[in-house]
Amino acid sequence: MTIVVWGSTKKPVTSLRLAEAIEQNFPEEGMLYIGYPVLSASDGASSIDALWISPKRGLIIFHLVEGRDVGSYQEVQDEFANNLETRLRAHRALMQGRSLLAPPRVITYAPMVHIDANYDVSYPLTNDDNLITVLNATVWDRPDLFAAAHSVIQSISSIRQGRRRRTIHNQNSRGAVLKALEDSIANLDSRQSRAVIETVEGVQRIRGLAGSGKTIILALKAAYLHAQHPDWRIAVTFNTRSLKGQFRKYITDFVFEQTRDVPDWTKLQILNGWGAPGSDDRTGVYYQFCRANGVEFFDFSSARKKFGSTREFSGACQHALTSVNSPQKLFDVVLVDEAQDFGPEFLRLCYAALSVPKRLVYAYDELQSLTESTLPPPEELFGTDIEGRSLVTFAAPQPGQPSQDIILEKCYRNSRPVLASAHALGFGIYRNPDAKSGTGLIQMFDRSELWEDVGYSVVGGELKDGAKVSLSRTPHSSPEFLETPATVDQLIEFIVFNDPAEQAQWIADAIEKNIKQDELNHSDIIVINPDPLTTVKQVGAPRLLLFERGIQSHVAGVDTDSDVFFKSEDDSVAFTGIFRAKGNEAGMVYIMNAQDCYYSFGSLQKIRNQIFTAITRSKAWVKVLGFGPKMERLKEEFARIRDHDYRLDFTYPDEETRRFLKVVNRDLTAAEKRSIKGAAHNVRELAAELESGRLMLDDLPKGELRRLRELLDEKMRDGNA
Amino acid sequence: MATPEVLLRETQKLTAELIAVGICTDQNFPAQVVQMDGAVTVGMSKTDGLAITLKNIPYADSYKVLAEERAFSMRFIDGGLIQILYTFRNNELVKHRLAFFPSPDLLEYQNNAEIYESDELYADITALNVVTTPMRFDFDRANFVEVNHPMCHLTIGQYRNCRIPVSAPLTPHAFVSFVLRSFYNTPFKNLCSDLSVISPKLVRTLSGLEHQQLYMQACGI
Repeated sequence: MTIVVWGSTKKPVTSLRLAEAIEQNFPEEGMLYIGYPVLSASDGASSIDALWISPKRGLIIFHLVEGRDVGSYQEVQDEFANNLETRLRAHRALMQGRSLLAPPRVITYAPMVHIDANYDVSYPLTNDDNLITVLNATVWDRPDLFAAAHSVIQSISSIRQGRRRRTIHNQNSRGAVLKALEDSIANLDSRQSRAVIETVEGVQRIRGLAGSGKTIILALKAAYLHAQHPDWRIAVTFNTRSLKGQFRKYITDFVFEQTRDVPDWTKLQILNGWGAPGSDDRTGVYYQFCRANGVEFFDFSSARKKFGSTREFSGACQHALTSVNSPQKLFDVVLVDEAQDFGPEFLRLCYAALSVPKRLVYAYDELQSLTESTLPPPEELFGTDIEGRSLVTFAAPQPGQPSQDIILEKCYRNSRPVLASAHALGFGIYRNPDAKSGTGLIQMFDRSELWEDVGYSVVGGELKDGAKVSLSRTPHSSPEFLETPATVDQLIEFIVFNDPAEQAQWIADAIEKNIKQDELNHSDIIVINPDPLTTVKQVGAPRLLLFERGIQSHVAGVDTDSDVFFKSEDDSVAFTGIFRAKGNEAGMVYIMNAQDCYYSFGSLQKIRNQIFTAITRSKAWVKVLGFGPKMERLKEEFARIRDHDYRLDFTYPDEETRRFLKVVNRDLTAAEKRSIKGAAHNVRELAAELESGRLMLDDLPKGELRRLRELLDEKMRDGNA
Repeated sequence: MATPEVLLRETQKLTAELIAVGICTDQNFPAQVVQMDGAVTVGMSKTDGLAITLKNIPYADSYKVLAEERAFSMRFIDGGLIQILYTFRNNELVKHRLAFFPSPDLLEYQNNAEIYESDELYADITALNVVTTPMRFDFDRANFVEVNHPMCHLTIGQYRNCRIPVSAPLTPHAFVSFVLRSFYNTPFKNLCSDLSVISPKLVRTLSGLEHQQLYMQACGI
């Protein structure tokens, strides 16, 4: 089936007609792009009307004529063909000697035009009478080059090329496997393409798991919009500062590929969410909003003082929003990555700073933190107008209309076993049951259908409250080729050591082998210490061993210059805490001190989220390392996951249990933890004192004793029920 | 007497020890290099790009260039950069450049304040009233001009004519422990007050006239 991707076009009626004609008559594989790609020509860049690419017919450019006058359409055809050829010829895979193996053809489609019998056949001119005949007569003899040609059209090939070259001597090394894996992800799939090219005149939401390509999609989308509308003020924003370099590189490559020109960074800005006064590097969306509207700007510490811990940014955004009645329109498009990290207030601020029609694109990961509804639905998120109508609602999908709500269900980063293990550990699916709750589960979605949204299928039981269910990732949502690294080594492995020294030694040995024998680059390796508070000290021991062996390593960005995570020109292995690891990926991931992620009083959700995030950094292999009894327990938990063949088999908790889980497993603040520990201590003391006879019941206030007895009785009864 | 080999070993050892305690988060391998003109250098292997700090540009910009070019021996947790470089000619120490370039700001503090506030490693560097100031101990035998250009001197804050006399060239240990003790005092006291000493002390170079001025005495020499 040909998939239609709707870019922006000035010829909507004819485009729709063309799309219908192709969809109805050519049930074969292929993509029809409307208003894409943008091609550079001597007199500037412009997009072609439509491009159809399919294995059977090759590349067909459509020149669309809405009216009755075809004009000198031959010239237009020549220009389209020449410009696209120029781009294709730059790719060796599509060339044989000097001849192009994927020559683009051009067809003018002019439904209102009567076609003269003696028109110039070397310049195909069609209307509804002969369109299908002409298309049927067009045949391509190299369907094997479809993927390569498509990759060029998507501009992905050049972006991938920017990666570090691998020199492979041994076809069975880790490096060789990783290279093959990277090569397999050379194309965007159809949903990704649509997400890049389809732009809504309004708000658009893109959801997907980590590794579903959200960042690259937003970068390409920003670049595509910039290429099409060079005068638009476009902002790309995100929370993890290490993404900045990545965005800049993707956008530069894509804009160059499309227009042969560099982006105009005064129009297309890559901005931090928060920002600070000072240089252009530091400016951010919130900062610009405050400056443009003359609103007081809060930096982190002043925001903390004013709005309290954890409310710093949302408080600051809310304050800015309420301080101004009609905000300045700063942008024509805003693209927000990692929206789950920002919260609704920041999105509302972006919305307020946008000119009509409010083109806001926000991408987020429902499961980034495993807790549900990281963001409320759009109706709630953006609030209501004076009459109580929601400012933003998503329309049901319509043919010929870009989709407002895109779910990317395929995860291209983690293989099925890795992703399912991360989820199982994060949710505590196979955790030893808790005495308090009777279940090992730590948290669970209220909306059970979320499991299907994120790519799980029900393979047994039922996805409903109180029922047994068996969930599994399918080859559709977790492509099988991602599991090829298993031919070299287990995809995910848990190892228990006796002590930290043994762990450090093992890490250093493993990394040395990775670099000297396995043909991995330094940047293929990340070592993650999940507890951010101890990272700098914990990584000292293995880094010392590596230093002594002449292997360069660094601790990623605990300092000012943290926009770049991997130092691209330098050979250095990154050690990092969990915060900096977010948004980054590598073939080989070592997680050290994983015992810290088994159990922690009052922080169970937090530490399980940490190990989830750490595991999902891996494109191929993960080694989960640690020592002590908690690590033994964690390893056993993993063994159960593996024995269930990476399915999630559990009883879906009912509403009451879910509420209970939320209460018992919530993350406590330091003060709450202290008060609970203090109370426990007092009770122990009291019991001991009474037991020893040093304290008599008569010494205690009668009223409080009675209250205590009643409370105990009541709670005990509840507990038994 | 201090030889290139001894100074190299001390630099290596110091780097290793500071990596182990977590103060040094990035580094370049210390090297001993025979230069084209026969001089032997010890310390940073990349010596191009050092002149940037002498250019008339804002400190934040030159700091950034040093960081990006990786023109440092060690990078500390807060982004502070340490340069260690000795030059020998005919087995005689003729120059050294021992410099500390603190990070001009702590942007990252914004993102992950919790880490900074709860860790003793950062105790001394998060105060808002701190004025970050680069400092450099230079030793230069050839350009000696008594009083005006002492052989070994300390330059504070890139002031062109700031050359506070120092009585003798410094060993890597003397320099690094000075920086740690002065600017990273909490972690220094708790984690690394006993850094290894390998090199013998160096020889006094202060002149009689300079001795009459206000000067720094290098480690009892």
